[in-house]
Amino acid sequence: MTRALLVVVSLAVGVAPAGPAQAAPPAKLAASLSRLFGPGTRVDSLRVDSNVVLRISRGDSLLGFAQVGNVIGKDQPITFLVAVDPADRLKDIDVLVYREPYGGEVAYEPWRKQFRGKTAADSLRVGKGIRSISGATISVQAVTAGVRRILGDLTAWHQAGAIR
Amino acid sequence: MPRYFPTPKILTLVTALGFGATAIAVPLAAQERTTVGGYGEIHYVDPSTGHPTVDVRRFVLYLAHSFNDNIAVRSELEIEDAKVEPSGAAGEVEVEQVFLDYRLRDWLTLRTGLVLVPVGIINETHEPPTFNGVARPAFDQDVIPTTWREIGVGAVGTVPAVAGLSYRVFLVNGLRAEGFSGATGIREGSGEGQNASFANPSLTGRLEWARPGLRIGGSFWYGGTANGDSVLGTGSFAAPLTLVAADARYDVGAASFRGEVANISASDAGAIGQRYGTVIASRLAGGYLEAGYNLLAVLAHSSSQKVIAFVRHERYDLQAGVPAGVIKDRSLARRVTTFGLTYKPLWNVVFKGDYQLVRNRAGVGEQQIVSLGVGYQF
Repeated sequence: MTRALLVVVSLAVGVAPAGPAQAAPPAKLAASLSRLFGPGTRVDSLRVDSNVVLRISRGDSLLGFAQVGNVIGKDQPITFLVAVDPADRLKDIDVLVYREPYGGEVAYEPWRKQFRGKTAADSLRVGKGIRSISGATISVQAVTAGVRRILGDLTAWHQAGAIR
Repeated sequence: MPRYFPTPKILTLVTALGFGATAIAVPLAAQERTTVGGYGEIHYVDPSTGHPTVDVRRFVLYLAHSFNDNIAVRSELEIEDAKVEPSGAAGEVEVEQVFLDYRLRDWLTLRTGLVLVPVGIINETHEPPTFNGVARPAFDQDVIPTTWREIGVGAVGTVPAVAGLSYRVFLVNGLRAEGFSGATGIREGSGEGQNASFANPSLTGRLEWARPGLRIGGSFWYGGTANGDSVLGTGSFAAPLTLVAADARYDVGAASFRGEVANISASDAGAIGQRYGTVIASRLAGGYLEAGYNLLAVLAHSSSQKVIAFVRHERYDLQAGVPAGVIKDRSLARRVTTFGLTYKPLWNVVFKGDYQLVRNRAGVGEQQIVSLGVGYQF
């Protein structure tokens, strides 16, 4: 652990149509990456066009990539993280900041775990592969669309060699 | 434990691909933001007892402004029945809700203003694509006086220890017994934010639990209704009214189910009736069950559109209990059965059609209603 260097960037990555970018608190981002990839990893940030992709590794082995996105819920941005493994399978998502008064159930494990193991080829649509939560429809739709887009981007960039 | 450097200027080194060093400066300052949204519904209604009508039933503008990450104002301005004329009996323009939210924690947002009373499903969530049937359930008109809103202060948030559990609790202005009647229940007792009496501050709240496909909730209201009347009592909780309600929404595969029940009791109904020369029920009760099935799950498996066939059965009694010596009006023991189709090309656009059978235990004034409607939200 002492060898490991963890660089966590507090960054803002917009996912259309998110509007102004919102920041993820560094502590929450660090905790999320630690939960997903284990403690003591090295995190580098890569730029692809205007996007920032986090590359997570330990020693010489690549553990995966992650990206922070924002989508608008009813009126507030929802800041979330999408993490993939080196085979472009979705490891998990995390809701880093939820600002709406209702619909926060998208942050909970029973909903998030539906995304695990999905690839860009899978159906990531509400009602088709992803169950909705009644009373939280707007947040569910927004986060699902945001995850779908980021997973597609990460997969395309990885396969094209833009991130590796 | 992971270590990180939360300083504003973080250098991240990218060596593998020659992107070069990238410095990312992050604007942490909260941004002000104004959001516009809305919903609407247009109805065609053909009752067996009269002529068909068409109506812009509701046109609602949602306007929210975030002053920073924690403080926001949220509002809805609603026009019912397309227009309001000085002489006309129809049509309303109303501020349906306007409140300030001050978010302190995930589990605590302070809310002040004209708020929706957190009772049942439809009172809080009534955007047309969220429910089956052209009209809102009759139960949510006659028993729960939708859209029930009052001015008050309270808190909303999630319960930290239990995933999926959330609450809202408010102290709001109370109902006025003077507005109660046999046929309209407690509906006309609501202040709706207009010079409302604060003689009977009332408590209302809701606890709900959600997970994918399921949401269940329980709600209450408790408060006086005397409005400072010298006969009924001038205490804050004089002529009290108690409401308890429960509801559930469950989706599994192509099937969807929902239901609501409520019980309203007014222990001083006899005194209220005598005071205002009318019959006031001591208890109103009932509910409905609804089941739907997305036909496209069978007919067009790959489609993300929905065509939901549904049936809803409502059964409620606006005079489930009456004061001693009063004879019940059995036409207020109602049953409404609705068969319909809901077509949703998108999750937030809806075309609806249904057939309703409206009956009551007295067997008078029964009718069938055919309705068509379009609705949207954004």
